[in-house]
This record gives sequence, structure tokens and C-alpha cells, in this order.
Amino acid sequence: MKIINSLGTGFIRVVKAVKGIIITWFCFYFLVLTFVYPLRKSLDFTFGSSMITERLADGFDFEVFADLGNALPSILSFFSTGFMITFFAGFLLNAFLTAGLFGSVKKDSGRFSAPGFFSAGALNFWPFFLISLLITFGIIFLFIIIVLLPVSITAMAETLPERSIFLVSLVSGIVFLLLIPVILLVADNSRSFKTGHREVPALKSIGKGFSLTSSDFGRSYLMMLILILGQVVPGIAAILFLPAWKPVTGGGVFLLLVVSQLLFFARLFLKTWRYASVTARMDDILLTNTRGMEIQQVNN
Amino acid sequence: MKYKSGLLAGLISLAAVLQAQIINKTPLSERITGYTIRAVLDADAKTVSCTMEAFWVNRSADPVPDIQMHLYMNAFKSSRTTFYRERGGSPGSGELDRGWIDITSFTDGNGNDLLSLMEFISPDDGNTEDRTVFRVILPEPAMPGDTVFIKTGFVTKLPSRIIRTGFSGDFFFVAQWFPKFGVYEPAGMRFAASGGWNCHQFHANSEFYSNHSVYDVEITLPARFITGSGGLLMSETTAGDLKTVIYRAEDIVDFAWTAWPGYSVVNDRWRNVDITLMLPHDRIKQVDRQLTAVKNALGYLDENVGPYPWPHLTFVDPPAIGAGAGGMEYTTFFTSSSSYFVPSFFYLPEMVTVHEFGHAYFMGILASNEFEEPWLDEGVNSYWEQRIMDHFYGKNSGMINHRLFKLSDIAMGRMNYTRFPSRQASSNAEFSWNYPHGTYGIITYSKAATILHTLEGIIGTETMNNVFREYYRKWAFRHPSGRDFINVVSEVVRKEHGLKFGPDMNWFFDQTIYGTGVCDYKISDILNRRITKPEGPADLSDGASASVDTTGPQYTSIARLERVGELKLPVEVLIHFNNGDEIFETWDGKARYRDYEYQGSRKIEWVKIDPEYKNKMDVNLVNNSMTTIPERTPLRRIAGRIASFTLFFLSIMLL
Ligand SMILES: [Zn+2]
Repeated sequence: MKIINSLGTGFIRVVKAVKGIIITWFCFYFLVLTFVYPLRKSLDFTFGSSMITERLADGFDFEVFADLGNALPSILSFFSTGFMITFFAGFLLNAFLTAGLFGSVKKDSGRFSAPGFFSAGALNFWPFFLISLLITFGIIFLFIIIVLLPVSITAMAETLPERSIFLVSLVSGIVFLLLIPVILLVADNSRSFKTGHREVPALKSIGKGFSLTSSDFGRSYLMMLILILGQVVPGIAAILFLPAWKPVTGGGVFLLLVVSQLLFFARLFLKTWRYASVTARMDDILLTNTRGMEIQQVNN
Repeated sequence: MKYKSGLLAGLISLAAVLQAQIINKTPLSERITGYTIRAVLDADAKTVSCTMEAFWVNRSADPVPDIQMHLYMNAFKSSRTTFYRERGGSPGSGELDRGWIDITSFTDGNGNDLLSLMEFISPDDGNTEDRTVFRVILPEPAMPGDTVFIKTGFVTKLPSRIIRTGFSGDFFFVAQWFPKFGVYEPAGMRFAASGGWNCHQFHANSEFYSNHSVYDVEITLPARFITGSGGLLMSETTAGDLKTVIYRAEDIVDFAWTAWPGYSVVNDRWRNVDITLMLPHDRIKQVDRQLTAVKNALGYLDENVGPYPWPHLTFVDPPAIGAGAGGMEYTTFFTSSSSYFVPSFFYLPEMVTVHEFGHAYFMGILASNEFEEPWLDEGVNSYWEQRIMDHFYGKNSGMINHRLFKLSDIAMGRMNYTRFPSRQASSNAEFSWNYPHGTYGIITYSKAATILHTLEGIIGTETMNNVFREYYRKWAFRHPSGRDFINVVSEVVRKEHGLKFGPDMNWFFDQTIYGTGVCDYKISDILNRRITKPEGPADLSDGASASVDTTGPQYTSIARLERVGELKLPVEVLIHFNNGDEIFETWDGKARYRDYEYQGSRKIEWVKIDPEYKNKMDVNLVNNSMTTIPERTPLRRIAGRIASFTLFFLSIMLL
């Protein structure tokens, strides 16, 4: 029941904060546009008035790009550096926006206000940045020791059957994926705690994130698993349907853009629901703890 | 020559056995050479100890004073051999690492000991550290029609770093392992000016030029091993811990074999051909993929080139520990390449299988000289591999067939050539070890295949098939040269197209195979000029007169074409007008530019050079078309996809 309560409370809070999600979507969309629009213009310029682009109507045709000759390396480096810069800018932007979103879904946030969203974002930018950075490094570290190392060691062992590399990758991959909800619980609990306790330093929040994750772990884990699986749905929908859809008219391309943005928005919504549910659950745990302490004090 | 009677009788019976028919009813080749080998594998010492009886028949009109033979396993003796000098690296420093072949006895048909007459030679580079070719001056020259018999004992040590041949633990791939005759070429053969032995050293990039031979090979090895070879298994007997297998192969140019306890063996049949596939147990799921691929290739080459004449075919998908043996060809025996997991959309194992099987034709049956004209072997074979892959696995997806990303095998070959920075550093007229700047693979495989696709575009697919049918009919089980192939092309094209392409096709091959120029035609401009005053009657010669309307505004429309590259190839041009009219023009492509001019009420909307993408040699397809109304939708769609991908990536990666 507690899970459903947290999810329900989380849902009410996320609906209240939907404007915050729209702001988040817009910021990310604008960020990506600053990378993709110049890329598209440079492609337009490079292909000029050639009709070879009609060979792209049926999907990606590498030969078309290969024939760009000397222009290809510059387009590729434009793509790769642009992608990297967008990712790093996205990382900073995410620290700011998630701080705003956590602020909007906390217990006493009341009605959504844009100034409240931005001030929460500004206030908690550095702690959120630090928490995200440390936990991202933690994920990379876990990936290296759980997946990369065992798989590389198996690959180097000549005497093992070939199947073993596949099996080791499978098992270590599953273990890693099962750990992801735990890591996200720590990240979300830390950020949620930090939002409610401005005076606590970021590193201490991470510590609190761990302790909150371990208290009533089974139920928290289950809730996180449900939320993550929900989040995966729009991703799978995007992977399954979008590539097969090959519009040939300008209107069709626009519709494709709208649908993919809707799917992205759905993902953002579900992610924010995750923040809100974790926050609701944390409120619940902290309340119980406080009550417990009060009862203890009364008994004393 | 005089022979000692006992030995002579034995050797003559050897010749009789080797000339006998066991596999096919009649000999497929002249059988100038033949080998009977008894081999014992020492799985611990990684050696094969052998005795061998062999013969060479002097079919030339020359008295031949010597014999020349390969000892290719000596390429793995040190890092100073020609093989390692060319490819870099070393065979390893340990005693067990190096590969070598030691001749322990060598007598002729008379029983004369010729061991002391053996002398190592290095005809290609004078490298005295290279002992991959030896010569024996015969006590008496071999006169026309004479048969030279030899009897030899030798030990072959396999190398630990498998490069086509070697061992890894209990895995053995035994190739280039016995002394093998070179090819004696009389004057005129492959346009040779004078008679002589053609016996090249072992190089990093080529291995094959031999007479079609008969092989009787007996191998004794520990009973736990599963064996396979290019021969037909005649018998298998076990005695204690050892077993002996006897193979016979007819009319093939090389004999290799493999032994490994881990093989799973699968049998199948295509018409009268028994197919044996040997692969690790782990890859049993790939059996269908592999067998389908080889049967596709059998059917396609049988239909378009000529029959596969042996009733047996064995191929191996080596385990990861023996991956270095993968992707090799020994006519009735070849190796593919794969791994435990290969996605179903990625046809690499199929491609390797089709390619290596194809060598049964191009090198095996049509036994060209890979050392001197590698394009005739690898290039021609790559051309057929690419045709087969795109035919069976999709015109645009013969290599990769994913819904997001498709790649044809022909396109991949073309790109390998057109995008290679040193694509003009060499023509195809080099010996295999002389290609500069790492161009061997690109020029020999990719460029040559692209040239042949372009030829197919010019003369048509059916004529191309007829070229290869005639090439097979004329040259099967012989040794054609590049010029022999080109003569067949000219003959067939003249027969089917008259003088449309000139008296011969040398103009094509001189520019492409024997030249280094690139092909690039482009549309430089489209002009539609309004005619203020009518300048005369409209051009009615284009067959589209119905659309010429002199009542509205009149235009002079010009399509400007240019030849940017050095190659001069026929050019097809499609010109599309704003009223829907289309005019198809042909240009001989010789001048530096060509303008097509039309007058009338219609305007040129777009122009395409080679609208059907037949000229694969054109290094830039982007400039082959031009439109006055560019269509940006595909690029917008790609940009949209990149945007969506980036957004989803960010939302997944950011916590
Ligand atoms: Zn090949």
C-alpha cells in the first residue's frame, strides 16, 4: 500500500508541476536545436542542388555521405564535437532544471510558480551538479568493475569456450541493470533531501541518500523498478516506431517531429513522477522517523 | 633419363594411381604434377613428419635443367623472411613459435640423392634469409615429355601465430606445409617471352600459382582429433590411440587440412555436391546461415559462370583460437570467419563464405597467377562475391540489413576504393608485393571489383555473364593471364554488340586495370534563359516535339556537363523538363565538357548523369545530378532524427 500511496502522492505533485516539465522540455529542445540546426544547414550547403539526397528517402545510405569526399570529415567532426558539447551543456542544464523540478514536487511547494522553479534551480544548482557528477562517476565505475572487467578478462582467456563471453556479458549486464534502480534511488533521495534541507552540504546529502535508500529498501526498490519500467515505455516506443516511419513530405517530417517530442515529453513527465514519488516516500519515511522519535521522547 | 628398376616401378605406379579416376570420370586438368604424402602429426611437438612422392611432367618443348619448388612454411622461420619483412612483426621468439620445413631426404626417380644439389633461391627480392623456394639441378635435363619423379622426407613445424597456417593449443590448420612444384611456363604461356619456372617466394599478400594436381594424402594423428581437408575421405581407421585418415583430391591447386577435437561436423547436399561444414559446437546456431550462403554461391556461379565440377566441398568456420586461419581458400576446402554472436542483420560470415568459396572458380578452376596478377584472382572473385551478396541478401543490403542502416556489398567495395586516399598510387598491373602505400587490398580487391561492375554497367549483365561463361569454357583448369581474360571480354562483346564499343575492349582495361586515373563526371550548371525574340525554330530533334509550344515564353535551356577525372567512359544523361518531358542522351565522355541545349517553352528542371548508378567508378556521385528545385525533406528528416536521438540520449544519460 505504501508504494501506491507514494506513487499516488507523486502523481498529484507531478501534475501540479507540469509547467515545470514544459519549461524543462523547452530548454532541452532549444539546447539540441542549437546543435542540430547548424548541422542541417551545413548538410544543405554541402549537398547543394544535388539530387543524390533522394537516395536517403528509404533510410540512411552511407554511400551518399561517403561521396561528400573532403566535406565528410568536417561534417563528422561537426557532429561529434557538437554532440559532445550538447551533452556537457545538457549536464549543466540538467542540474539546474532537476533542482527546479525537485523544488516543485516537494511537500510544501503549493501551486507551481515559474519564479519558484527558477529560484530553486539557481539555489541548488551547485549541490545538484555535484551530486549528479559523483553519482555519474559512480555508475561509470560500477560499469567498469561489474561489466567491462569481467567481460574483458573472459575475452582474453583463450581456453574458455566462445559462449562464455556472451554469458558473462549477459550476467554482468543484468547485475548492472538491477543495480541501476539502487543508484537512482540514492541520487533521487540525495537530491530530494537536499531540496528539503538547504543547510545540509551536498556530500552529506549523498550520505543521507544512501541511508534513506537502505531504510525500507525492498519497497523503495520495487517502487523505483515500476517507475523505471514506466519510463522505458516511451523509449521503446521511440525505438520501435520512429525509425520505421519515413515521411517523404515536409508535413510528414513535421508530424514526426511532433510525435517524437510528445514521446520525449512523456519520458520527462515519467521521470519527474519518479522524483515526486521518491520525494513523497522520503517525506513519509522522515515523518515516521520523527514520529518514532517523538514517541520515544514521550516514553522517556 | 634412366631409372633404377625397383624405385622406378614404384614411382610409375604412383603416377598411374595419380592419373586414375576416383572422384570424377575424366580428368579435369592436364595433371602436370601429382603428390602422394604420408604424414604423421605430433600434436605435442606441433610437427608433421612426412614422406612424399611426387612427379612433374615436362609438357613444354624445352629441355628443362632443373626443378623449382616452394617451401612456404619457412616463411615463419624468422622475422627476416620476405613474408615477415613485408608484413612486419615476427613469428615469435620461442622455439615452439616459429614455423619451418626441413627436408631430410630428397632423391630422384633413379634413387640419386639430390639433397646436396638443393639450393635456396630468392627470385623475387634476392633476400638470402628467405628459404621459401629451392631449386635442384637435375642430373640430366628433363626432355619434352619426360616425367621427373621425386621422393622426399621432410618435417614441417607449424607456427604458433596462425597466419593462414599454424596451431593454437589443439587446433591445427595445416596449409603451405609440403614441398610443392612451381609452374613451368613455356614461351607464350601467359605471354611469357621465354620458357622458365614461375616459382615465387612466399609473400605477405599472395599464395597461389600451381598446376592442377592429384593428391593422395594419408594422415596419422591422435584419435581424438576430428579432421577435414580438400580431399574426399577414402578411409578412416583407428588403432589404439591413433587414427589414420586417407584423402584423395583431384585437379586442385593446393592441399590443406585441419585437425581439432572441438569441431562439430554438419553435412548437407547441393545437387550432386556433398557439403561438409566444420565449426565449433558453440556456433551450431549459425549452421543454416553458413550452408545457405555456400549454396547460394554454388547456384549462382554454376548458373552464371560454369559448373562446380567436384562432388565434394568442405568448409571450416575456425574457432576464435584459430581465427587466423579464417577467410582462406583451397578450392574444394575453404575457411569462413565468424564468432559466437553475429547479429542477424550483419552478413559478414556469409560474405566471407561466399568470397572464399568463389575462389574455387577464380584461382581454383581458373588458375591465374595470384602473385603476378592478383586482381584476376581477388578482384574478379570480389566482383562475384558482391554480386552474389546483393542478389541474395538485398540490392541495397548485401552487407548490412538493419532497418536503420543498410549497406550493399557492391557499395562497400566501391567506397573502399573511391574513399581510399592513395587510390591513384598504383594501377592493377603490379606484382602482389609491389603495391605502395598499403594499396594492395584496395586496388586488388575493391578497385578491380568496381571496375568489373562498371564494365557490367556498360556492356550489360547478360553479356557480362556470357563473358565469364566463355572465360570458363576456354580457360578452366588452365592458367589464364589478365590479357587472356581481356581478350575473352573483347571477343564476347564484339559478338554480342558488334562494333558498338570498338573493335576490342582494350580502351576500357587500359584506362582502368592498367591505369591510375579516376573517373568523375559532373553537372556543372543548368541554365534556362528566356528568349526575348524567337531565335528560330525550336529544337525538334529530341523526339519530344509534342510539348514544344511556341505561344508562351520561350527558353534556351542548357545542361552543362564536365569530365573532371582522367577516365573517359561512356556517359548516360537524363534531362527532365518542367512540363514532365524527359530526354535521354548519351555522351562518349571523351571531351572535357559537353553542353546539351534545347529551345522551347519548357525549362530544364533537373539533370542526372548515370541515372541508374551503373558507373561504379565515378568517385563522386553527389555531383552527378543537379536540380533547380532542391528537395530538402530527406535532410530535414535526418536532422529531426538526430535531434530526437540526442534528446532521448540526454534523458537516459542524465539522472
Ligand atoms: Zn580472396
